[in-house]
Amino acid sequence: MNKVSNPPAGKKMVLLGNEAIARGAIEAGVKVVTAYPGTPSSEIVETLLECSQDLGFYAEWSVNEKVSFEVSIGASLMGVRALTALKGAGLNVIMDMLMTIPYTGTRGGFVLVVADDPGAHYSSNEQDSRFAAQWANLLCLEPESQQEAKEMTKAAFEFSERLELPVIVRSATRLSHCSGVVEIGNIEGSQMEPGFNKHYKLPFRWNVYGPPGTEGKHIWQLNQLTYIRELVDKIKFNQVEKGSSPVAIISSGMGTAYSREAVRELKQNGNLWFVKIGTPYPLPEEKLIPVLQNCKKILVVEDGDPLIETQLRVLAQQKGISVKLFGKTGEGVLQLHGELTTDKVVSALAKVLDLKLPNDDARKAVKTKLEALVPPRSSTLCAGCPHLGSYWAIKKALISGKENVPVVNGDIGCYEQAGYGVKGVVPETNELPSVRYSSKLPYDFLDTLHIMGSGISLAQGEARSGIETGQYWAVAGDSTFFHSCMPGLVNAVWNGTKITFVVMDNSWTSMTGHQVCPATGLNPRNQTTKIIPIEDVAKSLGIEFIEVVDPYDLAETGEAMKRASAFDGPSVVIARRECVLQVLRREGKQQPKTSVDNDRCTGCKTCLQLGCPAITFNDKKAGIDGLLCVNCGMCAQICPVKAIVEEKA
Amino acid sequence: MNNNSIVTNIIVSGVGGQGSILTSHLLAEAALIEGHEVKLAETFGAATRGGSVYAHVRVGEVWAPMMREDEADAVISLEPLEGLRVGLKFLKPGGSAIINTHPWYPVDVTVGRAKYPSISTIIDAFRKINANIHCIDATSLALEAGDSRAVNSVVLGGLIALDILPITRESIFTAMSEKWKEKLVRINEKAFDLGFDYIKSII
Repeated sequence: MNKVSNPPAGKKMVLLGNEAIARGAIEAGVKVVTAYPGTPSSEIVETLLECSQDLGFYAEWSVNEKVSFEVSIGASLMGVRALTALKGAGLNVIMDMLMTIPYTGTRGGFVLVVADDPGAHYSSNEQDSRFAAQWANLLCLEPESQQEAKEMTKAAFEFSERLELPVIVRSATRLSHCSGVVEIGNIEGSQMEPGFNKHYKLPFRWNVYGPPGTEGKHIWQLNQLTYIRELVDKIKFNQVEKGSSPVAIISSGMGTAYSREAVRELKQNGNLWFVKIGTPYPLPEEKLIPVLQNCKKILVVEDGDPLIETQLRVLAQQKGISVKLFGKTGEGVLQLHGELTTDKVVSALAKVLDLKLPNDDARKAVKTKLEALVPPRSSTLCAGCPHLGSYWAIKKALISGKENVPVVNGDIGCYEQAGYGVKGVVPETNELPSVRYSSKLPYDFLDTLHIMGSGISLAQGEARSGIETGQYWAVAGDSTFFHSCMPGLVNAVWNGTKITFVVMDNSWTSMTGHQVCPATGLNPRNQTTKIIPIEDVAKSLGIEFIEVVDPYDLAETGEAMKRASAFDGPSVVIARRECVLQVLRREGKQQPKTSVDNDRCTGCKTCLQLGCPAITFNDKKAGIDGLLCVNCGMCAQICPVKAIVEEKA
Repeated sequence: MNNNSIVTNIIVSGVGGQGSILTSHLLAEAALIEGHEVKLAETFGAATRGGSVYAHVRVGEVWAPMMREDEADAVISLEPLEGLRVGLKFLKPGGSAIINTHPWYPVDVTVGRAKYPSISTIIDAFRKINANIHCIDATSLALEAGDSRAVNSVVLGGLIALDILPITRESIFTAMSEKWKEKLVRINEKAFDLGFDYIKSII
């Protein structure tokens, strides 16, 4: 049961953008819902999973985004409504199918929600996923509020059925992870009758190669685009409010929310033309032509890259209209990086209107000076996190010697924090080809870090570079292993490439909020299921060196790491211990039993190198923060003078 | 009736795991109970625990979930440093800050790469930006109420005592009882009242 599963129509609730999107799908009568967790999109399917049993639809966490997308598309081909939600990086994983499915289309309403992350709060890039809609010739909707997120999602299913194509709903962190008041609507379903027909309306409908062939299907799709263009000129999500002066602000998504604030702040209500774009691709051209014709200056406000702006430039050129456009290209009153804020839009609008903003330089100077007093708070792994033990052990297993440069390739999950560095400490760079750096904390340990599944393959290229002065390591978590590491592992076995792969198996997809994965023993509907043991998978893929260790046992884990890296071939170490937060949630926090014997502590700071946030250091002595300590015992194992003691019960 | 054209901006800050987000949700729910428009922005780092966390709560007619710089009427913080961090950026001149005095040291300080400012330095900094700063030992008051985790309710009580929000104690308690079991509600009500009374006694 979830709060959005069955509230009465008309009720007002404070909902997270992601909950509003989930509610929109419920009101549209969705039947199949799939996703791989990815911040900031995860709560969409998390919410729908909690509603699925009450409301009688199917929901799953899939093993990765590609699988998830295809599962939902399969349901749509059967004539039922389906939804997939993912983050920007997740969209990249489905691009192959996304570029092809528009050729054959869909049947039951199909909605793809993409939650981008301008500002990269949680993501490895700031990509603007709306461009995928333009690339694939699909309709893209972009809500400005939680209420509209619900309404657009609901409408998107109907548009999809009408167009026989997927519809993309683009969210952003500030929509998905912010809350607003949403009025609940009725649950309505589709009128479509489910079933499967191989030649539905068109020959070989669901087969891109079937006659009339791929180009023929491309022609069908381009023809559908004319219907999309007709639709976007009619729908309520695109609105033009005329103004009294020849200046317009054209915005979409969160950009519209900031634009409304900026117009109020600069007292421009009624003065400006206010154009709210709900479909950044394609644009409602018939609605926009009069705006281009009547305005001399236009500010375009959109979160991400200039998609609307470049389409407007094309439209103005096609219609022979001369208008000055301000945005992220040309004069560039807004930046191409980072997220929009009201402050940024206020100053961009002031520039366009030649308004002078009040000068607050004196206050800014005072604040800048005071900000120097505020130390950063770098992100850390949790107290007692098993990954701390794994990293400690890998560090100890690295070959010694200055001329040896081992490379440790990271991956995406909680353990990626070993690549976040320490805030405010930017290392000096140099142009030497090969340098070995020491890393005292686990937080500046990883040498490469990009996307899910990339580490294991990068390691193989490094190993094949012909440079034999290093060891080539890759780390990944259990959920990431199943998501995208298996092909890389097969590749290493098949080609006989010597790498050491450490799987930090904590049984959960922890970073995105502890979703289940094939290593958990529960399925996404919370039913007990068999665990798929990573060691069995690795063995079946042909790995000949596999060891399973407990990362809390630092000596044992360190020895296993050394043996693995000495093995002549691809080796796998599985560091297995459940995520400490899940253990705490289930079993409650015990009284702290670990403490530092002040007389013995020499203040050598070795324990600090573990990176555990429960270890403090004051007055030249280490200490243990009892509020955080979970008695994992790792620090006691590394203290060279045995000053960290665990009280026996 | 409610006047949604008056906008009140509040920030709740703290360290991941302390309950800042939960507190902001209680505020937003209470605002809705009283019939106000409300927006809530959650900002948190990647870490589940131990990172800087802050939430913007905007009561009244707004569109952007995050307020502008120098726009906060009040900052309430479950941790002193985090209060200073967001206070410097967002508090308006004449705005108020309620800060729990119990520090949670960042790893940067522990490993000696940064210095944690003293409480008197923090108070001084707030004064230099013309803020009204109120310190409260919320950690002790929460223990007195029966649970160290009720720090957030102590600070929330302090905020309501400032009387700058169109939200009553009763609506907060209603919002609590929609979220928690009775035993937890009782502890948090007590914590709320301890915070409320303390701040009333010093302003």
